Amino acid sequence: MSIRNLTLLGIGLGLFAGTTALMSVSFDVEAGPHARGGARTSVNHASAPRGGGGGGARAANANRGGNANVNRNANVNHNVNRNTNVNRNTNINRDVNIHNDIDIDVDNGWNHGWDDHPIATAAAVTTAVAVTSAVIGSIVYSVPPSCVTSVVNGVAYQQCGSTWYEPQYAGTTVQYVVVNPPG
Amino acid sequence: MRHPALITGLCLALAAPLAMAAAPPKADPPAAAPAAAPAVQPEAVAALEKMGKYLRSLKDFTVHADTTIELVMEDGQKLQFPGTLDYKVRAPDKLQLDLHSDRKERQMFYDGKSLTVYGPKAKYYATVDAPPTIRELLGTVESTYGIEMPLADLFLWGTDQAPTSALKSAARIGPARIDGTVTDQYAFRQEGVDWQVWIEAGPKPLPRRLVITTTDDPAQPQYASTLTWNTAAGLKDSAFTFTPPKDSHRIQMVAVDVVAVEEKSP
Repeated sequence: MSIRNLTLLGIGLGLFAGTTALMSVSFDVEAGPHARGGARTSVNHASAPRGGGGGGARAANANRGGNANVNRNANVNHNVNRNTNVNRNTNINRDVNIHNDIDIDVDNGWNHGWDDHPIATAAAVTTAVAVTSAVIGSIVYSVPPSCVTSVVNGVAYQQCGSTWYEPQYAGTTVQYVVVNPPG
Repeated sequence: MRHPALITGLCLALAAPLAMAAAPPKADPPAAAPAAAPAVQPEAVAALEKMGKYLRSLKDFTVHADTTIELVMEDGQKLQFPGTLDYKVRAPDKLQLDLHSDRKERQMFYDGKSLTVYGPKAKYYATVDAPPTIRELLGTVESTYGIEMPLADLFLWGTDQAPTSALKSAARIGPARIDGTVTDQYAFRQEGVDWQVWIEAGPKPLPRRLVITTTDDPAQPQYASTLTWNTAAGLKDSAFTFTPPKDSHRIQMVAVDVVAVEEKSP
């Protein structure tokens, strides 16, 4: 499915669901170029097995760009808040993930990601901001600007209408997990 | 009967240019001679080992790096992003890192017991238990949290995590000035990377510039850094301790799953 269709689908869902959160999916998914990988920032790998001679310097973390396409989030859908149509969105996560390679670097104007390794930080990604915003357990890299920080029992959440996100670091990237409203 | 003749003619016609084409290499030995030099020059390896030994002797230092990193777009186009990073280090178990670019900022604090990652704009920080030395820390952040520490080589050269046996070629290129300092430029090749280092001449064989070309992507993106050192920084303990700023919030840091391992094969 093309990204354009994703946008339209998202808007359609937004209208259908009548929530501002879903409307926000119409951010410009098509704008940026999509990164496939980046330069290594070290010759040697810190996690390489010690004492291994003979060019064994590349070990566990040999891969970079490929990280972007892993969807572990979408199928956690318990349909807590929204209509069942949300399930369809799992089909297009891949497109959106790639886009995140670029946008991942910017949190509310600039802050996501490890300066020198933005691609690896895209591991275990996500979906567009609001397409599956209602799906508990799904992960996004940014939340709508209208969200507010709410601290409940010492945990910082982003509350966006009736949708709650718990921020967490994945590597040095902040990602937001959709959670049930804290009680 | 015509056919054999024709074929013979063709063969001759084909063979002539081939013979001519094959000739030049024979005439070329003098020009090809430089390529016959040893792939791994002992002189270059020695310089690398000397630098590594000197780096390992540093106990209290800061290093500032002006960096550029290239990202490869899906269509092969490369984009370049500038930035800076600053390490404060007290060997073997204290480290602080500031990363800045026009897009991102992060800080990292390591005091020998825990590691804190902080984003000054979002004001989120995460603290996790950490191993007792910098070298072990680097492995942990890479394998457990998926973070490739930029310029980790600074901590690995001179150790068995940067074996010179991995060098496929090593060569001294020649003298060069970096920010007015006399250095020697060296070029190395390893699996997946071509790299160059400019090592300061004289009693402090510090790396002053490092360029890493990633060769397992056909677009060959580069990471370049120019380094400024203070080898006797006099750092205080407080430099390595994170104090949560007002309005900051602690959040969790999730470990990477098996993703990176799965994706090694393609």
